[in-house]
Amino acid sequence: MSQRAPTIEKPVEGSHIALELGRLAVLLVVATLLETAVAANVRIVGANPDFALLIVVAVALLRGAETGAAFGFVTGGIVSIALFEPPGIRSLALVAVGFLAGRYAETADLSPNVAPIVSVFAGTLIAGTLSLLAQFLLGREVPLAYLIDHWLFPVLVLNCLLAVPLYVATRWWLKGDRRVRISET
Amino acid sequence: MARQRALRRRIVVATLVLLSVALLTVYFRESSDGPVHRLEATTMHVVAPLQSGTARLIQPFRSGWNWTSNLFSAQSQNHRLRAEVQQLRSQLAQELLAQQQAAEVKGLTQMTQNTRVFPQGTRFAQARVIARSPTVWYSTVTIDAGSAQGVRVDDAVVNGQGLVGRVSAVTPDASEVTLITDQSSYVDAMIVPSDHEAQGPPQGLVAGSVTGDVTLEYVDRSQKVVAGQVVATSGQKNSIFTRGIPIGYVSAVAQQDVELYQSISVTPYVDFHTLDLVEVVLP
Repeated sequence: MSQRAPTIEKPVEGSHIALELGRLAVLLVVATLLETAVAANVRIVGANPDFALLIVVAVALLRGAETGAAFGFVTGGIVSIALFEPPGIRSLALVAVGFLAGRYAETADLSPNVAPIVSVFAGTLIAGTLSLLAQFLLGREVPLAYLIDHWLFPVLVLNCLLAVPLYVATRWWLKGDRRVRISET
Repeated sequence: MARQRALRRRIVVATLVLLSVALLTVYFRESSDGPVHRLEATTMHVVAPLQSGTARLIQPFRSGWNWTSNLFSAQSQNHRLRAEVQQLRSQLAQELLAQQQAAEVKGLTQMTQNTRVFPQGTRFAQARVIARSPTVWYSTVTIDAGSAQGVRVDDAVVNGQGLVGRVSAVTPDASEVTLITDQSSYVDAMIVPSDHEAQGPPQGLVAGSVTGDVTLEYVDRSQKVVAGQVVATSGQKNSIFTRGIPIGYVSAVAQQDVELYQSISVTPYVDFHTLDLVEVVLP
């Protein structure tokens, strides 16, 4: 079985860690505000984009599985709190999305520009399914056919359309120095 | 090295997943002053002003977006309105007869100045919508008034058009309002004007749904309900809503032989997509 040669990760100094955390914190605030104050106003074909998921996927693609999962957890928690939703559901979904998108970046060839779209497509499906399951377990009404038609499908389209612009913006903000290692598969 | 890294990664993810589940469990099991709810209040203290600023910032863009959307829907609206005009002409004669009763219904829309709905001295807290849930699961909005302004859980929320919902969570700086379209929302309601002078107006529960449709449930089949009648809060004993707040109008009525109750669709007066300024009815 062929393995990719691991690239050497640059040693990260203390000041760089602080800078990196600062950049991620700003992204966290932006994701929270976009999701809570802007997303509900952007309604196209009956759906609202999931900005939090888009930014988590972008961070995971640029920084790997662990950072992606941790960023997903914190983003999910804060967005839930800001929207007075039960905390935990979004966190769980975004941890899964962040981790899987990060693993995809670590193990696959990301040279084609479709990587953000593929990741967002899969991430939206995973997060949607997890949310659906969680809401069902919480005893809320889940009319499956309606949700697939009027919610999941439009959100998938909308998220995929926004995937590349948000990925490019996130890469610019994180200064593009991908520290993801193409690692052990 | 590679094995260690894989192990660390698994531990990180497992920990985060467990933390998420624990957070959810604790939230539902703890009291309203528990640690997660306190964390919610603290976070909102920081986030609410930012949301408020963002909401003001995007207001012009939102208006522009709504204007553009309206332009696209104008053509289909035109066809619909033409059909509606024809229908309304045939209803005109009936409407004239009902004019006297309509005056009574019109009074319901005077909202906050209407002392028949809100007794003299009722206090209101004006608030602005600063965030709203973009998911289909929750029809909720966040407003920039909280316990510091006297807002409490279960206070009614109205705007110039009618009933918006009720306050379902409060922090010092912000509150969550569960809209009447939310699937967990139930409002005791009545239909006015009523032909049933003896037994009073038909009463039931206005319920929301995940699809956003609003229905009036538990109205007996024997009671006559027609499209166009107004649905307002009934203000039953112990209700959190005072009597007579307009909710919407009956848009369709269906009866099935096997059902005990009628299936009544209600179109809310409030346009929830453009909701901005609201009034919280203080106790």
